[in-house]
Amino acid sequence: MAEVARVEYQEELERLEASGLGGLDLVSSALGRTLEAVEQQDIELAQLVIDDDDRIDGRYLEVHQALITLLATQSPVATDLRLISALLHILKNVERMGDQCVNICKMIPLTGNEPPADEEMIKLILTMGKQARTLISQSKRAFEERNVEMARDLVRQDDVVDNLNRECFGLALEIGDDPDRREWAMTMLLAARAIERIGDNAVDIGEQVAFVVTGLFQEFEDASHPE
Amino acid sequence: MPGATDTTRVEREAGQAPVPTPPPPSEIAEAAPAAEGRRAKTIEVRKLNLFYGGFHAVENVTMTIAPNKVTALIGSSGCGKTTFLRSLNRMHELNVGASVEGEVTLDGQDIYARGVDPVQVRRLVGMVFQSPNPFPTMSIYDNVAAGLNLNATRIKKSAKDEVVERSLRGAHLWGEVKDRLDKPGSSLSGGQQQRLCIARAIAVEPEVLLMDEPCSALDPVATLAIEDLIGELKSEYTIAIVTHNMQQAARASDVTAFFNLEETGKPGRLIEVGETETIFTSPKEQATEDYVSGRFG
Repeated sequence: MAEVARVEYQEELERLEASGLGGLDLVSSALGRTLEAVEQQDIELAQLVIDDDDRIDGRYLEVHQALITLLATQSPVATDLRLISALLHILKNVERMGDQCVNICKMIPLTGNEPPADEEMIKLILTMGKQARTLISQSKRAFEERNVEMARDLVRQDDVVDNLNRECFGLALEIGDDPDRREWAMTMLLAARAIERIGDNAVDIGEQVAFVVTGLFQEFEDASHPE
Repeated sequence: MPGATDTTRVEREAGQAPVPTPPPPSEIAEAAPAAEGRRAKTIEVRKLNLFYGGFHAVENVTMTIAPNKVTALIGSSGCGKTTFLRSLNRMHELNVGASVEGEVTLDGQDIYARGVDPVQVRRLVGMVFQSPNPFPTMSIYDNVAAGLNLNATRIKKSAKDEVVERSLRGAHLWGEVKDRLDKPGSSLSGGQQQRLCIARAIAVEPEVLLMDEPCSALDPVATLAIEDLIGELKSEYTIAIVTHNMQQAARASDVTAFFNLEETGKPGRLIEVGETETIFTSPKEQATEDYVSGRFG
């Protein structure tokens, strides 16, 4: 029992993990450009993000199909099976995070060329987005390193995003009576909500890290029954 | 049943008569009648060591083979899983110089206890082998009835007919052979022959069925048919199956036991036993993980 076997299969699995997690880099980049488009009210950049989402979807389809092929042809079990299961889950998270960026970018033209922006609210959203990018990169690193402690820390990082989201809501309530400003604030609340969901997806990835390592799936936080 | 001994050592030369046969002992001799969904018997193995002469083949195995479940024994060639299986119905001792230390009990009765008739043990603990081995010159009917003829007391033709039909039905073969029961067993396909052997094994109403790679000589369709049959038989029997087919263990068993040996010449040991689902998703031992993943060959 000393000779290493199934080398090609192992290499393919490693390649697919790297490719699947690479989707998080694409999402982080998309979110970065999304934030820039929000800050600059840049409709063209927003359209670029929307068009580029095909790359994220393409990555999803490519890796998903290859994982299904591995399941069908290699009968993976134990850690390999958990890894493939987790990657299938994470691919969905990546695809959803990409869609949230698209959702934000689709709203940018709706606010008009010179929207009645509230600087404080824009600042909050940019801070939220920056924090969400931290979550994305941390979830990727935690998965790569199979680091459950780092994965659990995502909950703490996500709390920062959640609190900023609540602050945005508070600002929107006090935005005043001007219908244009109110409409703009509502649109920004939707953007904040999309970023908040990106944070949640990163936490989901962290839960998959724990599953791969321990074999047990457990939600880090139960949104239905918060403590 | 005579009192069980704590540790038993049995040694005999091949071809000799079995260990002295005492007056019919026991609960062991009285097989419970087969009934729908009956509780089969539990095999408890404690500190079992198996030898071929001076060669220590299996070391210190302690495990339970639960009733009405399929327990798969897996491991690389030479790890002792077949030797272990054959010790569960005292077939190991048929090898020249073979010996046994430790305890194997069937619902608490030590099958190696002094005075227990190995032939009776083998009737209660049936075996299906790797290659289908029907008696080639016997008819399909006589193959199934062979155990009855060898076993016992005279049995009426009508009663024998019933047992043959019930056993063939139990082995999912009745529909395919009911019109040619007088044809030789060797006229059947490989998969049918293996089901015939299973019918022969269950005809004597054993408590336990041991199967030593029962599908290794069969095509995938016949293999799946046997696996389905195993799944149904567990409602009546305790089943232990040796298999090299990892997917078969995953598909067909409830419990999986992984045997391994450190290196050639060393005894095989039980590394890990657990629910099959656990062994194939989150095994505790790295050696189990490496083996079921096919990472080392």
